[in-house]
Amino acid sequence: MRIIFKTILLSSALFLTSCATIISGSRQNVEIASEPTSAKVYINEIEVGNTPVQQNLKRNQEYNLVLKLDGYETYETKLERKFNAWYIGNIAFGGLIGIIIDPITGAMHKLKPEEINGSPKSGTTYNTENGKLFIRISMDIDSNSEKVGQLKKSE
Amino acid sequence: MTKMLLLITVIGITSCSPKITSNFTNPQPKLSIDEKVALLDIEHELPENLTKVGELRFQDSGFSTDCSFNSLMNQARIEARKNGANIVKVVDKKKPDLWSSCHRLKIELYKYDGDVSSLPQYELKLD
Repeated sequence: MRIIFKTILLSSALFLTSCATIISGSRQNVEIASEPTSAKVYINEIEVGNTPVQQNLKRNQEYNLVLKLDGYETYETKLERKFNAWYIGNIAFGGLIGIIIDPITGAMHKLKPEEINGSPKSGTTYNTENGKLFIRISMDIDSNSEKVGQLKKSE
Repeated sequence: MTKMLLLITVIGITSCSPKITSNFTNPQPKLSIDEKVALLDIEHELPENLTKVGELRFQDSGFSTDCSFNSLMNQARIEARKNGANIVKVVDKKKPDLWSSCHRLKIELYKYDGDVSSLPQYELKLD
């Protein structure tokens, strides 16, 4: 019985080493949508496409996010790295190896949009599903622009 | 258990960020996000008629993991904008080696009155 117990304990320690790295991985999928759609998205000033757009970002970095759309005010925010609770799993399973590996891979973090006084920045809503981060940004009409007309698809 | 919690707390607080040392000798008015900042690597030449704003040094704190070249250059650009510089020039670069998994950079920041987007420069990538 003792041997079985020891074997289970050892296998758990080996298989569950680096809890956060195994559960979350070193990258996080982030989907950015906007209202209205088709805004140009820049991450760290690199154009990544028009909304809705998806990127697989490293968890151990912080990113500047900028959305631009004609007739709307440029929206700036940040993706900040926060503590990933799976890292605490190392106390039970991962042990010292997990404590070292998770920070190296970046898995001890998760990305979240910038918060001001504990709430998301005005215009940002987000949720996380199965580790994937969905961000929705509502853009304000640029007060300096004036609508002069609208193009309509010809039938 | 207490030691483990302490270790997790210490690593949680200190991990990731590289050690940044800065020295701004001539700070300029802050730049907006719409104003371009050129990132010049070692092989890129500086234009003439520049005002030196300051220096940055990125080192390995011992727990740094967010220290790729792209990430450090992005952080340098943020610091440059805060201090009114529109050129980030790498003057010394050590690549990851046996002693450190980090890029270690010595950077000079300059203010240039010309169009920085016309300068040959490093193109930042997402890691």
